Amino acid sequence: MKTIRNENLREEIYHKELENGINLFYFPKKGFTKKYAIFTANYGSTDNVFLPLGENEPVELPEGIAHFLEHKLFEEPDEDIFQKFSSQGAYVNAYTNFNQTSYLFYSTDNFYQNLELLVKFVQSPYLTEENVEKEKGIIAQEIQMYQDNPKWVVFFNTLKAMYHRHSVRTDIAGTVESIHKITKQDLDTAYRTFYNPGNMVLFVVGDLDGDEVIRTVENAGKEYPTTLDRVERIVADEPDEILLKSIEERMMTSKPLFNIGVKDRDLGLTGKEAVKKDIITNMILDMLFTSSSEFYNELYSEGLVDSSFGAYYTGKRTYGHSLIAGQSDKPQEVYNRIMAMFKKPERYLTQEAFSRIKKKEVGGFLTGFNSIEFIANNLTDLYFQDFLLIDYLDVLNEITFEDIITRFESHFTEEKSVISIIWPEMESGNN
Amino acid sequence: MESTRKEIGNGLNINLTYTDKFKSNYLGVYMIRPLDRAEVTLNSLLPMVLERGTKNHPSTLSLKRRLEELFGANLRISASRRGERQIIKFSMEWADGRYTGEEGLDSDILQMFREVIFDPYMEDGSFSREYLEQEKNNLITRINNKINDKRTYAINRCIEEMCKGEKFSIYPGGYQEDVPQIDGKILYDHYRKVLSTSQIEIVYTGHDNNLNLEGIIPEEFMDREAVTFVPRETIVEKSQNRNQVRDRMSVAQGKLVLGYRAGIPYEDKLYNGLLLGNEIFGGGPNSILFRNVREKHSLAYYVSSSIVKHKSLVLLDAGIEFQNYQKTLDLINEGLREMVMGNFSDEDMEIAKKSVRTSSESIIDSPQLMSEFVFGKIISNDQRSLEEMIQELEEVTREDIIKAMGKVNLDTIYFMDGLDREVEHENN
Repeated sequence: MKTIRNENLREEIYHKELENGINLFYFPKKGFTKKYAIFTANYGSTDNVFLPLGENEPVELPEGIAHFLEHKLFEEPDEDIFQKFSSQGAYVNAYTNFNQTSYLFYSTDNFYQNLELLVKFVQSPYLTEENVEKEKGIIAQEIQMYQDNPKWVVFFNTLKAMYHRHSVRTDIAGTVESIHKITKQDLDTAYRTFYNPGNMVLFVVGDLDGDEVIRTVENAGKEYPTTLDRVERIVADEPDEILLKSIEERMMTSKPLFNIGVKDRDLGLTGKEAVKKDIITNMILDMLFTSSSEFYNELYSEGLVDSSFGAYYTGKRTYGHSLIAGQSDKPQEVYNRIMAMFKKPERYLTQEAFSRIKKKEVGGFLTGFNSIEFIANNLTDLYFQDFLLIDYLDVLNEITFEDIITRFESHFTEEKSVISIIWPEMESGNN
Repeated sequence: MESTRKEIGNGLNINLTYTDKFKSNYLGVYMIRPLDRAEVTLNSLLPMVLERGTKNHPSTLSLKRRLEELFGANLRISASRRGERQIIKFSMEWADGRYTGEEGLDSDILQMFREVIFDPYMEDGSFSREYLEQEKNNLITRINNKINDKRTYAINRCIEEMCKGEKFSIYPGGYQEDVPQIDGKILYDHYRKVLSTSQIEIVYTGHDNNLNLEGIIPEEFMDREAVTFVPRETIVEKSQNRNQVRDRMSVAQGKLVLGYRAGIPYEDKLYNGLLLGNEIFGGGPNSILFRNVREKHSLAYYVSSSIVKHKSLVLLDAGIEFQNYQKTLDLINEGLREMVMGNFSDEDMEIAKKSVRTSSESIIDSPQLMSEFVFGKIISNDQRSLEEMIQELEEVTREDIIKAMGKVNLDTIYFMDGLDREVEHENN
C-alpha cells in the first residue's frame, strides 16, 4: 500500500491497486462519525460514442444512456438495494454528470458490510427488457422536472450556443424521446465497457481501519477476465469558434435570467497543468465577478445585477468554458459591459485583488476539508484528471499574478463569448 | 461532543462546543422573532442591508475584501422561518490559524463580526438611503423569484392555503406590497427593537482558542430590560375536509402537494411515533411511497413526505404527469391506510430507526449542523442529549406508530396543473 502525505494540510491518503483491478484510495478522517465511500465509473453523458470492449467498430448510443444505467444498477433479481442499505443503516445514492457516474453511501455503523454491498451491486447488473421499460416513466419525470427549471434551461442553452458538435451540449439525462430508444442491449454494451475496473475508482473516507477496508474490497470485488486501461472514446471534432452569439427562450420565470459562456480552446491538459489552469481561471472569475470586485459593485449599484450574479470555470480534456450567470432586466446591457471590460480589465485585475483572492481560496479549501463528502467528491473528480486533491494547496501557492494575466488574455475574448437568455412569460394562473 | 450553556445577560445566552475535529471555527448568533406579517418583510430586508457595510467598512466592497483577507472568512446573514418564529441569523466561519499559518486572526474576525451586527453603516442616524433603495428592489425580485423553483413554490402554496389564519401561513420571504413603505428610519428603528428585545443565542463550535466570545456583544446590550420571548406555536388538530386547490401554469410537470395535520406536539412522547411513521410512509427510498408510487408504478421521480415539527404537519410532495393526478392520489391514500392498519414490517421499523439514527449521528461531523442542533434544542425547550433522543426513538413500538399515523388527517390537496388542460372526472 502506498502512502501519500501532505504536510501543510496534515492529511494523508493510502492507495492500492487490488488484484481484482479495483483502484482503491482510503483517506482517514479521525474523529468523524460518518464514513463515506464513493465508487465511480469514468463514464458520463459526454461518452456516448465509443469503442465497445473487444470490438473494433465504434458505436453511438442514445443520449442519456449513462444516467439510465445509473438508475438501473440499483435493480437486483432477489433484493431491493435501497432497502438493503437502509437495513444496514446506510444512506445510498448515485449521480451522473458530464464525465462520471458515481455510486455512494454513508453510514455511521456497519461500514464494512455496506462497502461490500456497494462493490457487489455496482459490479452485478441485472437488466431485463421489462425493468428497462419500467424505468422510462421515472426518468421521463426527472427530465420534465428539469425542463421546468429555468436555471437548468438557460445553462444548457449556453452549451448549445457554444458547442457545434461536442456531446457536452446534450442534456445529461437525455430527452424523453432519446430515453425511449434505449434498449437492454445498449445498456449491456455500455456496462461491459465502462464498468470495467480499469475504468473505475473507489474512494473511502472516514475513521476506519485501512487494512480492513482493503480486505473488504478485495473480497467483494469480482474477477474480470480483462481489465482495460482506457476506453476509446470518439470525440466529435469541435471547432474553436462558437456556434451562436446568442440564444433566447421564453419560460415561466419572474425576471430575465442569463448565462454568458466563454468557450475555452486551451485544451488537452492533464494532471497538474489542468488543475492549475482550472484554479487560475476560477481566480480570475473571482477577481471580476464576486461581491469583493469593483466591477461587480458597479453593475450592482446600477441595479443591473443582484446578489445572484457570479461565475465559475469548468474544464476537462476535451472541452472547457467559463460561465457568468445572473438575472437582470437588461441582460444585453450586462453582456455589453462585460465585453467592454474584457478589453480593458486593468482596473479590476490587480495584484492586490490577486493576493486577496488567493487567501480566500486557501481558507475555502481548508474549510472544505471539514466535510467528508467534499473530500471524496473532489478526490474523485480530480483523480480522473490525474491529480490528487491533497496537493491542491501546493499548486494554488505556485500561481503567480503573471499566470493570471496570461490566461486572461488568451481566454476572455468577445469572439469566444455567447449569451443565453430566458425571458419571462408571465401568466396569471387562477390564484 | 459536550456543549455548555451559560446565561450572560437577560435573554442572552452563550453555547459552547469545543472540538479539534474541524479545520475551521463556526460562530452563530441567532435572534428570535415572531413570524408576523407586521415585521416579516422588515426582517427579510435586514440581512440584505446589513451586508452592505459597517462603520469601518462602509461598502460591500470594503467589507468583502476584508473578509477575503481573513482567509475567506465566511459571513452569512439570513432570515428564515422556524415554526411560527422568524430567525435572524448571523454566522461566521473561518479557517483555524493552525492551518493557514497565520494564527492570531481570531480577534480580528470577532471584531469584524461584532461590527457587522452592532455597528452597521449609517447615514444621519438611519440606514443609507441608497443601499436601502437598492436592496428594496432586490427584495422584490427575490420575492417574485419564488416561482422559479416550482417544487418549493408548490409546497409554500399548500401551506398558505392550509394554514390560512395561522401565523405559519405567512410567507417567510416577505411581501412585495409591504416593501415600498419601508424607509431608512422605519428599518433602523425596527433593527434597534430586534437588538434590544429579542432573545439572542450565541452558538460556537470549534477549536478552544481562548476567544473572548462574549466580547462580540457590546456592554449596553448585556442587560436589556424588555426581552420578549416568542411563545410556543398552537397546534390545530382539526382538518378541513379535503380542501382542494389548483393553480394553472405553463409547466411541463404537475406538482402535487398534500398537507396533513397530525396534531401531536413535539413535547408528547407519541411524537417519536410520528417521526418514525413518517419515515416509513414517505421518508426515504425505502418508504412505502417511494416503493409504490415510483418503483412499482413509475409515476414520479421524486415522492416524499416530511414533518413540520413545530406545527405537527406532514407535507407530502410528488412531481407527476398531469393526467396521473388521480392515480397518484389514490396510491398515496392507500399507502396511508396501510400505515394506519399496521401493514408495515418489523424490518421497515428497524430501517426507519436506523435511518433516523444515522442522520442524527452525522450531525456532529459538521459545525453548521452542530450549531443548528444546539439552537433547535433551545427553541423547542429540549434538554435531552443527542444520545437520549436516539435512545427514545429506539424504544418506539409498532403500536406507537399506528396510533400516531392514525392521527394524520388530510387537510389540503394542492396541485400545480398545466394550462388549459381538460380536467377529467375526478371524484374524491
